[in-house]
Amino acid sequence: MYVELHLCSAFSFLEGASLPEELVAEAARLGMPAGALLDRDGVYGAPRFHVAAKKAGIRAHVGAEISVADLGTQAGVPSWMPNKIPPRPVRLALLVENRTGYRNLCRLITRYKLREEGKGTGTATMDEIAGHAEGLVCLTGGEEGPLAAFLAHGGYEEARRNIKRIAGIFGKRNVYIEVQRHFDAAEESRNQAAVRIGESLNLPLLATNGVRYAHAKDREILDVFSCIRNHCQLETAGRFLERNDERCLRSEMEMSRLFSDLPRAISNTGELSARLAYTLADLGYEFPSYPVPPGDTMDSFLRKRTEEGLRQRYAAKGDEELLARAERQVRRELKLIEKLKLAGYFLIVWDIVRFCREQKILVQGRGSAANSAVCYSLGITAVDPVGMELLFERFLSEERGEWPDIDLDLPSGDQREKAIQYIYRRYGQLGAAMTANVITYRGRSAAREVGKVLGFDRESLDQLSSLVNTWGWRGPTDTSEHQFHQAGFDLGHPRVRKYRELCERIQDLPRHLGQHSGGMVVCQGQLDSVVPLEPATMPGRVVVQWDKDDCADMGIVKVDLLGLGMMSVLEECLELVPKHYGKPLDLAQLPADDPLVYETLRRADTVGMFQVESRAQMSSLPRNAPEKFYDLVVQVAIIRPGPIVGNMMHPYMRRRQGREPVTYAHPLLEPILKRTLGVPLFQEQLLRMAMIAANFTGGEAEDLRRAMGFKRSGSRMREIEVKLRQGMEQNGIGKETQEEIIMQITSFAEYGFPESHAASFALIAYASAYLKCHYLGAFTAALLNNQPMGFYSAATIVKDAQRHSLRVKPIDARRSEWLCTIEHAPGKDGKDLPCLRIGLRYVRGLRQAAAEAILRERQVHPFVSIEDLVQRVPELQKSELVTLGAIGALNFLGERVHRRTALWQVERAARSAGPLLKSIPESWESSPLQPMTDDERLVADFHGSGITAGPHPMAYRRAALESMKVKRACDLHRIADGAYTRVAGCVIARQRPGTAKGFVFLSLEDETGIANVIVRPDLYEKHRITINRERFLYVEGILQNQDNVISVKASRVAPVAISAAEMQSHDFH
Amino acid sequence: MPFACLFVPDFSVQAVIRIEPDLRSKPVGVFEGAPPLTKVFGANAAAKALGVEIGMTKLQAEACSGVVWRWRSHSQEATAHAALLDCAWTISPRVQDTTGNKEEPPDTVALDIAGCERLFGSPEKIAGDLKRVAGEVGFDANVAVAGNPEAAICAARGFPGVTLVPQGEESAQLGVLPLSSLKIPAELLETLERWGIHTCAEFAALHEVAVVERLGQEGRRWQLLARGADPRPLIAKEPPVEFEECTELESPVELLDPLMFIFNRLLDQLCVRLRMHVLATNTVKITLTLQRNDSRKKEPLLHIRTLRLPVPAKESKLLLKLLQLDLQAHPPGSPVTAVRILAVPAHLRTRQMGLFLPLSPEPERLEVTLARIQSTVGEGRVGMPVLLDTHRPNAFRQNHFVLSESSMGISAGERRPTAALRIYRPPLPAAVELHDAKPSAISCDGVRREVLTLSGPWRTKGDWWSETVWARDEWDVLIRALRPRYQADPHGVAKKEETALYRIYRDLRSRRWFVEGIYD
Repeated sequence: MYVELHLCSAFSFLEGASLPEELVAEAARLGMPAGALLDRDGVYGAPRFHVAAKKAGIRAHVGAEISVADLGTQAGVPSWMPNKIPPRPVRLALLVENRTGYRNLCRLITRYKLREEGKGTGTATMDEIAGHAEGLVCLTGGEEGPLAAFLAHGGYEEARRNIKRIAGIFGKRNVYIEVQRHFDAAEESRNQAAVRIGESLNLPLLATNGVRYAHAKDREILDVFSCIRNHCQLETAGRFLERNDERCLRSEMEMSRLFSDLPRAISNTGELSARLAYTLADLGYEFPSYPVPPGDTMDSFLRKRTEEGLRQRYAAKGDEELLARAERQVRRELKLIEKLKLAGYFLIVWDIVRFCREQKILVQGRGSAANSAVCYSLGITAVDPVGMELLFERFLSEERGEWPDIDLDLPSGDQREKAIQYIYRRYGQLGAAMTANVITYRGRSAAREVGKVLGFDRESLDQLSSLVNTWGWRGPTDTSEHQFHQAGFDLGHPRVRKYRELCERIQDLPRHLGQHSGGMVVCQGQLDSVVPLEPATMPGRVVVQWDKDDCADMGIVKVDLLGLGMMSVLEECLELVPKHYGKPLDLAQLPADDPLVYETLRRADTVGMFQVESRAQMSSLPRNAPEKFYDLVVQVAIIRPGPIVGNMMHPYMRRRQGREPVTYAHPLLEPILKRTLGVPLFQEQLLRMAMIAANFTGGEAEDLRRAMGFKRSGSRMREIEVKLRQGMEQNGIGKETQEEIIMQITSFAEYGFPESHAASFALIAYASAYLKCHYLGAFTAALLNNQPMGFYSAATIVKDAQRHSLRVKPIDARRSEWLCTIEHAPGKDGKDLPCLRIGLRYVRGLRQAAAEAILRERQVHPFVSIEDLVQRVPELQKSELVTLGAIGALNFLGERVHRRTALWQVERAARSAGPLLKSIPESWESSPLQPMTDDERLVADFHGSGITAGPHPMAYRRAALESMKVKRACDLHRIADGAYTRVAGCVIARQRPGTAKGFVFLSLEDETGIANVIVRPDLYEKHRITINRERFLYVEGILQNQDNVISVKASRVAPVAISAAEMQSHDFH
Repeated sequence: MPFACLFVPDFSVQAVIRIEPDLRSKPVGVFEGAPPLTKVFGANAAAKALGVEIGMTKLQAEACSGVVWRWRSHSQEATAHAALLDCAWTISPRVQDTTGNKEEPPDTVALDIAGCERLFGSPEKIAGDLKRVAGEVGFDANVAVAGNPEAAICAARGFPGVTLVPQGEESAQLGVLPLSSLKIPAELLETLERWGIHTCAEFAALHEVAVVERLGQEGRRWQLLARGADPRPLIAKEPPVEFEECTELESPVELLDPLMFIFNRLLDQLCVRLRMHVLATNTVKITLTLQRNDSRKKEPLLHIRTLRLPVPAKESKLLLKLLQLDLQAHPPGSPVTAVRILAVPAHLRTRQMGLFLPLSPEPERLEVTLARIQSTVGEGRVGMPVLLDTHRPNAFRQNHFVLSESSMGISAGERRPTAALRIYRPPLPAAVELHDAKPSAISCDGVRREVLTLSGPWRTKGDWWSETVWARDEWDVLIRALRPRYQADPHGVAKKEETALYRIYRDLRSRRWFVEGIYD
C-alpha cells in the first residue's frame, strides 16, 4: 500500500498549484486510502482537505512544512550555476500523530507567525521545535528539506550529525528519512546518501513524491505562480521554474516501480499512515464560558437577563396576549439553549451588545438570530419575532447539531473597530481572532498577473482588465474569447491562446490570505491550539488561518461584526437631528407607520434610503405600494435574484394589486402563507410548510432547506421528497396538491430570503426613510459623510436632496468643516432653514491634516485673502490650493474673486519668492483671466470634488434639448403609455442583472429627476461602446407606464454633448 | 525674416510613401511593435478618415478596410530625416535638427536663411524652393519662414503649405494656433487650460511679469514662444559623431579581391580622419548595398557587417585584414553596388601593461586570430561560453572573447563535478532497444552495443509556453566503447579502452534517440 504523505496544495500560496479538493479527487481516483497535506507554514487548506476527504472516503492526515531559521538555507542551485534564486530557510515537514501533536503544531506556527515582520517571512527556531515536538512525526524532506541542505552545504558527515540531532528531538521512532524521485540526477545522489544515513542511524525510509500539484499538466500553473512570487517573466525565470512535471500525484504501482530497490520506503507509508490517528474531526474546540456571579450558572444568569429584557420590551407594548406568547416562546427557547449548552454563546453576544450600548455604538443583530425571542429580549435584535410570528427553528434546532449564527450590524469605521478591540481585550490575543478571507484569482487579477508573467505590456493588460466581465449576466459575447478579441489580442497566436487558457485555469486558486471584514472567532482557553493564528495587515489584528466557511465546517462559533454604512448614517443623525432641528431622536421610538414615509415609498422617491433605493426596488415600489411595516419587509426581500428567478415576484405583485385571486395549494397552508398572499417568499415559510403539511420537525425542515440550497444534491433531494410525500399522505393531502406543494418548495428553496433578516433590514430601511422624509438636511449630510455606500454617487445624492428643496451650499474655505455640516439660514418665510454645507472631505487630493490646519487657523481669526490663507496654512500644498481655487472654495476670500482670480492668485502665492524678494510687499493686481463659463465650472466641480452645488449639467442645455423635443424626467408621468418619446440625461447607473436575460437598464438623471431606460440585448450589442462609455445619452423609444412604473424602451441610443464634466456612474450592480 | 522651417506631417507614413510613391493617394497606416503587441504608430489623413486611430492594436486596425499597412522602420525614418536635413542644407549651412527624443518622429528641421537672399532670392522664393526640394525627395512638407527659429517651427507645425510670418506679426499670426501646437509640457498646459487659456494669443496676452511670478522662467519662455518672439538662437547641427565614408560603385562588383581595393581606400581615408582627431575606432560597420534581382522592390538590399574590436585601432591594415576575414566568412550574396563604412570613434589605448605580468598575445593580433578561427568554424562558435539560467540542457551563449587584463583566479568555494562530459556537437543519432522501458542496447554509427549498466532517466521539460517547448530523458550508460580510444596505463603503456560511459538522451517530442557525449 502506498499513501502520499507529502502533499502541498495551492494553500501553500504560490508554491502549490492544486486545490485540496483536486488533490483528494486525484488521490481517490488512484485508489489511495489516505493522504497528508503539508502546506507551507500553516494548515490553511486542512479543513477543505478534511471535508473533501471525508466525502471521498479517504483519511486526511494533518501536517505542515515549517520554515526553520537555524537549519541553514535550502539546497537550491549551486552558486556556480547561473541563477537568481535567493537563499530560503529550510522547511521541516511535520505530520500530526495525535491531538497533542496538532495542538503543538498550531502553537508552534502561531508562535513564529505572530513575530514575523513581513507576510510569510516568519521562521521557527530549533528550540521552539524541540518544545513542540511531542505528537509530531518529522520527515527529512525533499529538496526544500534539511537533509538536502545539510548534504549540499556540509557533506555526508554533517548531514548525518544533524539528522541524528533531529532524531534526538523527535525520537527515533518519529523521524523518517524521506526519499523522492523526480528523475533528477542530483536528487538521486542525495537519495543514496539518505539511504546510507538512514541505515547508519537506524531510521526508517519513507517514499513520497513531494506533491505540488494533482496532475502533471498543472506544473504550468506552478511555473506561473513561481514567476508571480519572484516578480519575473517565464522567459527570464530560469531555474525558478520546475525542472519537469513529475511532482504530481502518482499511483501505488508507479511509486512501487520507481522505488523497486527500496520496497520498505513504500510499505512504510502505509504503516506511518496507520499510526497517524489524528484528523480534524477531533479539533478540541470549546466555546468560552461567560463569567457569572457566584450562585449563578450560565443558564440561570441567561434566564434572568432574558426575563428582564422580556418584561422591558413586551410590557411596553401593553399587549397581554403578546406578552404571554412571548413568555411561552422564551421558555421554550431557553430550554433548548440549556439543552444544547449554548447559554455561554448568548451571554457573550449579549455582552458585546451591552458594551456597544454603553459606548453609544449603534448595534443591531440581523440574520436568523432575529427569529429568536431570547435574542430580542436580550436586546441583540430589534425585530419582535413573536409579534411577527417568526420561526425559531430557522435559527436554532436540536437536530441540526451546529452552532447558531448571530450577525451584528455596527456603524462602519471606528465604532466597529471599538467593538472588535473590546473582544480582543476580553478574550486575550490568543483567545479571539478574526476569520481569514482567502483571496483567490478572479477574472481581472488572473488576466493581469498571467499577462505580466507571459510578458505582455501594461497597456494591453489594462485594456484587457477593463473588459473582463463583472456583469451579473453573462451573455454569448461575455466569453473570455470575446474579451481577448476586443482588447486587440489575436487568439490565433499560440501565446495569446496559452494566456487565455492559463487565465481560466488559475481562476479560484488562492492568492493570499486576507482578513474577513467582520467574522470573529473566540475560544475557551487558547484559540492557538485549535488553529494557527497570524498577524493581519492591520496593526493590532490577529487572524486565524481559516476562512469563515472553513471555521463553520470545523464547528467553530463565529460572531460577525459587520460594518454597515447606513448604521453610521443613523448614528450620525442621532447627533445632528437634536442639535440642528431641536427635536429628540430615538430610533427605537420612531413613529410607526408614518404616512409621509409610506407615501414617499409608494412614489419610489427613495434615493439614499437603505435597501429600497436601487432601480429594481424603485420599479417595484409603486406596484407593492407599501402601507405598513410588513409590506416593507416583503419589499426588502422580494427584489433579490432568488425571488425573481424563482418567479415569485410577479404572482405576489399581481395578488397585491388585486389582479389575481389569493389562493392556497391546501387550506393547511393558509396560516403560513396568508401574510404573503399565498405566495411563498421566505425561507421560514418553506420550513413551516414542510412542518405543517408533511409533519417535519423543525430540524428536519431546516435540513430540507439546506439540501435544496446552494450545494444541491440530487440523491439527498430525492430522499427528502419521498419523506415529504409520506408526510403529506399521512395528512390526507391529495396527489395533485402534493405535487404543487413539492413544486413550490423545490422551486424556491434555493432562493428564498430569511424573513427575520428581511425584517431586520426593513427596520433600518424604515429608519432611513423616516429620517430622509423629516430631517433631509441631517440625513443627506450623514449620507455624504459616509460615502462610498449605497447605490448612487454623492453627486446624485446632492441633486436629489436639492430637488427635495434642501439648500446645498458649496465648499468654502471659510465655512466648510472636514465633514458635511448643517448651517442655518432664513428661509423664504423668514424661518430658520437648515441647509447643507459640503465638507472639505470632498476636495479631491486634500489631505485631512491640511484641512484641519485650515480649520485651526480659521478659528484664530478669519482669512482675509488667499495670500493670508497661503501664509497662515503652510501645510497646504500647491496642488491642494489649486483644487480649492478651481472648485470655488476660495471665491469668498477677497472682493470680486471668481474661481480664475483665485487660481491666478494661488499660482503666485504658492510659488516661493525666494529670500531676496521675500520682504518686498506683494501687489495683488486683479486677474486678467476670464471667469469660468458654466460648463467650465461644472468640469472643475466634478474634477475637483465629484459633486456640484450648482445647477445640474442638463439644466444648462434644456433649451436646446427642448428644441429636440426631449422630455424632462419629471414630465414622463404625464405621457401616455405606449407613446414614442425622447429622453436624455447623465448616466448614473448601468445595470445588466443576472435575472434579466441580457437586458440593460440605464438610469438617466436630469435636473428634474431620474428616467429609466431599458435597452434590448441586440441594441446593446450594436451600441456597446456608446452605452458603456458615454456620460450623457440621448434615447428614443416607447414609453412604458405600468402601474406608475415608468421606463423608456430604447429603440435608438446616441451620445449627446452636454458637458465634459467627469460625472460618475455606478455600473453593473 | 532670416529663419525657415521644414515640417513633415505624419512623418512615419511619409517616410514610407517617399520610398513607395504609389501609395501617395492611398490610405496608409504604419504598425510598430512585435506581434502580438503590434499597435498603429502612424496614419495619414485618408487612413484616419476610415477610422484608424493611433494606438489601435493590429487586430482592431485591420478591421478598417481599404488601408494599406506598412511596418515602421527606424532606419527608413533616419534616412528620411537625413534627406530632410539634406533639403535644408541645399539652402543653408546652418541647420538645426529639432528632434527632441527618440520617441518623437524626426519630422522638423529649422534653418538660418540670413544672407541667402542673394543666392536664392526672396524669403517667399526660398520657402517655395524648400517645399519643392522636399517634394523631390518625396515629402509633402509644410514650410514656414519667420523672424526667429521657434516662430518658424511653430508656424510650420500649425499651418499647412507655405507660411510667411512677417517680422513683427509673429504674435498676431501665431495667436490663432492652439497651445498644443507649441508642444508645451503637460503640467504647464494643464495649468493654462485651468486658467481658460487655450490659444497662443491668449497666452501671449498675459502680463509677462505676472507669468514669471506664476510659472517661472520656463513659463516665460513658452509665452515668448506663443508670441513668436523666442530670442533663442538657432543651434546649428554639430558635425556627425560617427565617421562615415561611402562610395557608389560604377558597376556591381562580385569578387572579394577587387572590393578589398575599395575598402582599403575608404579605410585609409577614415583612419586619416580619425588620426587628425587623435582618435581610433572600436566599431566599424560596413554596409554593402547589393544588386537586387527583383527590381520591383524598392527597399535596398543590404549586406551589413559590424566589426567590434576589443581595443581601439587606427591601423587601416588591421581593419582591412579583419574585414577581409569577416567577408570571407560572410560573403555578400549578390554583386555589390554601394559601400558605406562607418567608424565609431574611440580614444586610443594609453594604458601601460605591467612589467611582471605574464606575456599575453598582442590584443590586435589575438583579434585577427579569433577572426580567422571564426571564418573557419562559423559565427557564434568562437568566444567564451557562458552558462544560461535555464534547465534546458547544454544551454549556453558565446560571449566575445576578451583577454583579461588581470590574472585569472580560481574561485574557491563549491566543488565542481569531477566527471567531465565531452559533448558531441551535433549529437549522434542512435537507435536504442528498450527492455522494461530502459535502454538495453544502442546502435550508433553502424555499431551495436549492449548496455552493461545504466542510470536514469533524468527528465527535463521546459518552455511549455512557447513554440520552442522541449522535453527529454537522459540516461548515463556504460557500454563497450563506440570509438575505442587508447589510454596510457600507470606504466605508460598504451591500452585500448574497452568500455566507456556515455550520455544518451531521448527527445520526448520527436521520440528520437541521440548519443550526447562521453564521460572522461
